[in-house]
Amino acid sequence: MSRRGWLRALELLPRYLVLVPFAALFAFPFYWMLVISLGTLQSVFVFPPILYPLWHWDNYLAAVGLITDPSTGQYLHIPWPRYFLNTVIVATGTTGLVLITSVLGGYAFASMAFPGKKLIFGLVLAVYMVPTEVTLVPNFIILANLHWIDSYQAQIVPFGASVFGIFLMRQFFLGLPNDLWEAAQLDGTGHLRFLWLIAAPLARPPMVTIGLFTFVAAWNAFLWPLIVTNSDSYRPVQVGLQAFSYADATNPVLHAAGSLIVTLPILIIFLLAQRQIVGGIAASGIRG
Amino acid sequence: MATQRSAELPRRARTVRADRRRRNRADALSGYLLISPAMTLLIVFILIPALWIFWLSFQRWDLISGTSDYIGTANFERLLLRDDVFRKAVWQTVYFVAGTVPVSMALGLFLAVLLNRAMPLRDFLRTVIFTPYVMPIVSTALIFSFIYHPDVGVLNAALNAFGLPKIAWLDSPQAIMPAIIIYSVWQHTGYNTVIFLAGLSNLPPELDEAARVDGARAWARFWQVTWPLLSPTTYFVLLINIVASFKVVQPILIFAGGVGGATSGGGGPDKAAETIGYYLYVQAFSFFHAGYAAAISVVLFLIILVITGLQVGVFSRRVFYR
Repeated sequence: MSRRGWLRALELLPRYLVLVPFAALFAFPFYWMLVISLGTLQSVFVFPPILYPLWHWDNYLAAVGLITDPSTGQYLHIPWPRYFLNTVIVATGTTGLVLITSVLGGYAFASMAFPGKKLIFGLVLAVYMVPTEVTLVPNFIILANLHWIDSYQAQIVPFGASVFGIFLMRQFFLGLPNDLWEAAQLDGTGHLRFLWLIAAPLARPPMVTIGLFTFVAAWNAFLWPLIVTNSDSYRPVQVGLQAFSYADATNPVLHAAGSLIVTLPILIIFLLAQRQIVGGIAASGIRG
Repeated sequence: MATQRSAELPRRARTVRADRRRRNRADALSGYLLISPAMTLLIVFILIPALWIFWLSFQRWDLISGTSDYIGTANFERLLLRDDVFRKAVWQTVYFVAGTVPVSMALGLFLAVLLNRAMPLRDFLRTVIFTPYVMPIVSTALIFSFIYHPDVGVLNAALNAFGLPKIAWLDSPQAIMPAIIIYSVWQHTGYNTVIFLAGLSNLPPELDEAARVDGARAWARFWQVTWPLLSPTTYFVLLINIVASFKVVQPILIFAGGVGGATSGGGGPDKAAETIGYYLYVQAFSFFHAGYAAAISVVLFLIILVITGLQVGVFSRRVFYR
C-alpha cells in the first residue's frame, strides 16, 4: 500500500473501532436466534450459555412438524404451510391494491384538473395524522358489520390505500416532462390511455419502492391480524408464531427455529432490495 | 365576404369553448373516478373511524353482544379520575418514551456521523444496523425474551462475566420496562441512522470544509456547523420517534401480554409494562369494552395531536432552515 493509503486506513481506524462492535451488537440477536435454533433442549438451559451453534438441523424439520420433537418425542401440529399461504395471499393482495390505488390517485392529483382537488388533497394529508392504533376499535366494528372477521379481505382492504403511496406517485408524475402529455394529446389520447400506456410504465421505480414497503409491512403485520383472525384458515405466520410460543412454552429451540423460518423470507427480500428500501426511507422518511 | 368571415369567427370560437368545457367536465369526471378507490378506502377505514371514536367514547358498547347505551361522559370520568391502571399506563408510557427516544436518536445520529463518508464496508455496516427495523417484531421480540431469560439468558451471563448480579428482566417490575426500552432502541436506531444519514448527505460539504481549513476540531465542527444545519432532520426524527413510541403496543403485547396474569389483562408484573396503547388494546379486545377503549383512543389521539402541534409550534421558530 502507498503511504497515502496507509494514512487513510489509519485515519479510518477509529471509526471502525466504534462501528464494528456496534454492528456486532445489532446483529447479535439474529446470531443468537440461529444458535438457539440449532441447539438441544439441554444445551440451551446451560449456564453460562454455549455461545456457538451445535448444528442440530433436524430442529427445523421438527418445527415444521415433519419429524417428532427431538426432546419431547412428540409431533408439533402447527399448520405452517397454511400460515405461509395466508401471509403470502394477504401480502400480495395488499401490495397489488396499494399499487393500484396509489397510481390512480397519484396520477389524478398530479396531472388532472377537477374542482375541490386542493381540498381533497388536504384531506389526504389530514388522514396521515391519524395513528392506526387509535382507529382499532371502530375498524373492528366496521369489519364485524361487513361480516369480514376471520377473512383475507379483513387483512387486506383496510390497508388498501396508502397516503405515502399516493404522495410518492404524485411526486413522480409531477416530475414527468409535459411534452409527453402534449404529444399524446395531439394523437387524441385521453388521460386513462396515457396513464396506462405511457405514465405508469415509466413509474416503475416509485412503484417498486411502494410495493416493497407494503409487502414488508403486510408480511410483518401482527396486531391487526391478531384482532381480526380467529382460525388457522386465515391466520398469518406472525400470529401463528406467537400462538405457538404461547401454547408451547416448553421448547425454546423450536420457537427459535420457527422465528427464523418466519424471518428468513423478509431477510432475503430486504438483502436483495435494501438499496430501494433504505433509499425509500431516506427519501421520504416514512414510518414503517 | 368580409361580413361572412366576421360572423364565422365568433361561432367557431364558441364551439371551441363549448368543446373545451365539455372536455374539462369529462376530465373532472375521470379525475374523481381515479381518486375514488383510494379516497373510499381512506375515508371508510381511517377518516370515519377517527371521527367515530369521539361518538363511541360516550357509549357503553359491548363488543361481543354489540349492545350500546349512551352514558354521557361516564367513560371519561372513570378513565381520568378513578382508573388507577390508566394512570399507571400514562406514566409508564412517558417512561418508555423518555427512555427510548433520546437514546435511539443520539445513537442513530452518532452512527450516522461515523458512517457519513466514503469508506470500505460502509453499506454493509449500515445494512446491519438497519436490519432490526425491517424484521418482524414477533420473531425479534421472541429472541429477546430468550436473551432476557432470568436463569440462562445470555444478557445475564454477560452481566455475570462483569461480576454483576443476575436480573429477572421480564419478571421484575423494576426491570421489565428497561428491558422493553433496550429492545426498542435496538429495533428503532437503524431507522434514525438512515434518516440522519440522508440529512447529513444533503448538507453543503463546503461549510464543513471551510471550518476544517480554519482548523476547527471535529468536535467543534460538529456542534457549530453540522448540528445547526441538521436541525430540520433532527426535528423530523424527534417528531416521528415521539409519536411512534407514545402509541407503543406490539412489543408490550409480546413481552408482557401473558405476564402478570392474562386474565387481568397482562401488562407485566405489577402492571409495570402497561402503556396507553396496550391498555386500549386490552380494554377493547380482552374485555370487549369498546366504548371505554374508544375513550382511551380519544385521549391517546389528543395527546398525539398536542405533541405534534407543540413541536410544530416550538420548533418551526427555532429550527435553522437553509
